[in-house]
Amino acid sequence: MIRFEQVAKRYPNGHVGLHELSFRARRGEFLFVTGHSGAGKSTLLRLLLAMERPTSGKLMLAGQDLGQISNSQIPFLRRQIGVVFQNHQLLFDRTVFNNIALPLQILGLSKPEIAKRVDSALERVSLSDKGELYPADLSTGQQQRVGIARAIVHQPALLLADEPTGNLDPRLAAEIMGVFEDINRLGTTVLIASHDLALIARMRHRMLTLQRGRLIGDGEAGQ
Amino acid sequence: MSTTRTPKVSERVAPKPADPQAPKKRTADDDGPDLRTLMHAWLESHRASLADSLRRLGKQPIGSFFTCMVMAVALSMPMGLSLLLKNVEQLGGSWQRAAQISLYLKLDANSRDGEALRDEIKGMPGVAEAQYVSREQALQEFQQQSGLGEALRELPDNPLPGVVVVTPTEVDKPALEALRQRLSELPRVDVAQLDLVWVERLAAILKLGDRFVFGLAVMLISALLLVIGNTIRLHIENRRIEIEVIKLVGGTDAYVRRPFLYMGALYGLGAGLLAWAILAFGLSWLNEAVVGLSGLYGSDFALGGVPPSDGLSLLIGAVLLGYIGAWIAVARHLNELAPR
Repeated sequence: MIRFEQVAKRYPNGHVGLHELSFRARRGEFLFVTGHSGAGKSTLLRLLLAMERPTSGKLMLAGQDLGQISNSQIPFLRRQIGVVFQNHQLLFDRTVFNNIALPLQILGLSKPEIAKRVDSALERVSLSDKGELYPADLSTGQQQRVGIARAIVHQPALLLADEPTGNLDPRLAAEIMGVFEDINRLGTTVLIASHDLALIARMRHRMLTLQRGRLIGDGEAGQ
Repeated sequence: MSTTRTPKVSERVAPKPADPQAPKKRTADDDGPDLRTLMHAWLESHRASLADSLRRLGKQPIGSFFTCMVMAVALSMPMGLSLLLKNVEQLGGSWQRAAQISLYLKLDANSRDGEALRDEIKGMPGVAEAQYVSREQALQEFQQQSGLGEALRELPDNPLPGVVVVTPTEVDKPALEALRQRLSELPRVDVAQLDLVWVERLAAILKLGDRFVFGLAVMLISALLLVIGNTIRLHIENRRIEIEVIKLVGGTDAYVRRPFLYMGALYGLGAGLLAWAILAFGLSWLNEAVVGLSGLYGSDFALGGVPPSDGLSLLIGAVLLGYIGAWIAVARHLNELAPR
């Protein structure tokens, strides 16, 4: 599903985001990327979302070379990916339903199909009765669930999450991680960037550890 | 590595396994959507963009109205001047008689010669009408109009020649000059006289007016593009996060651009309708004074309204300008809106 081969990312100001990073992730795998601030976690996610291109090396995602992908192909690549942000990135002038429906509207699905899929996603994140509310009416944890619902509603092959539990208390964080595991059990590859080592250790999934852009660890969390 | 079993594509669906209505998973492995689905998606996207643009304009009715009003004023000025010039051209046409060519006949030409010449001229191309004024009629009119009746009666012979007054079909300087030349070569014609000064002056004024309207139109259209561009830029700024999110979840540039293009076109439509109304009202208001003035000159001249064809051209032009202005604004700002 994901293949990094000696991938490096250097910025024009001289900062090095990633140093010749190499790893693979299989389809349906659940993995964490961890490391301190500035370790390269966000750079890794940005490369996977084709928000940036690698300076050197080869980055393959679902059979596509992200170093060579044309700008016009990027939206279609992103339709295979779901993204969850730490700050949710919800649209506060739309209802929860319409926030979640956005990726489906972009795909051009019919209204009944959109309604069916949004209801299903809401059910998956236990917010079935919140569809008509606005994000401002929800708690932080519920807003994060809406963000997750929006990320999974179009049934992506890959789910990326950037510090998805960063603003949540431990109980809510564990709940959100449970949602990610449910999604992963259905076959979606899940990659979560997080520095919450205690939470990661409890999950016992594969963990990539980055330090200053280099991969310094690759193994099961908690071992 | 994870030990999670990788389900088959057909198993990897978003709804829970218990969901009997679980839709089929869309993956890169599936065949692409058929043409009907794509067409439906495209139409649905346009419908949603139009509805969204209308909703957003409706949310700020006063702001939207004033933007349309500014555009309408900018549109109505060159259009209004152009319509006034058209009316002046028509007025020039109605004064066609003033461009008559006077053929002074030789003094030995009698009435029969004059009438024969009039009939010949009537059949010539470019001639609308020809009228013969005999030497006697000319003297009589001159006596009445000049107040020199007694003095003229003292003259041994009538000094005035017979005249054929020719009315041309068009008031066009080269055509009039050519006609005058042809008429002057006719037998028994002594002098062919054409007063072109006023025609030249009117043509020059109309030409100047045309250029002024063109220059004004170019300036105001540029201003209009800036107005619409700036308005759309503000809409883009207000929706920056939404655009970033749309791009992150797979929205194409066309998808992002579409609602703004509809918005630009809607601004143009509103401006076009307002400009049409402004022109109709303005011309009607001006017409009262024009009718009064022309009546003093014994003319029944009146300003025409906005012809439907011109009104429709105005509407289409306004919509296109709104669309183009929005396109330029979105094209300039779209690249700056890459997800951060």
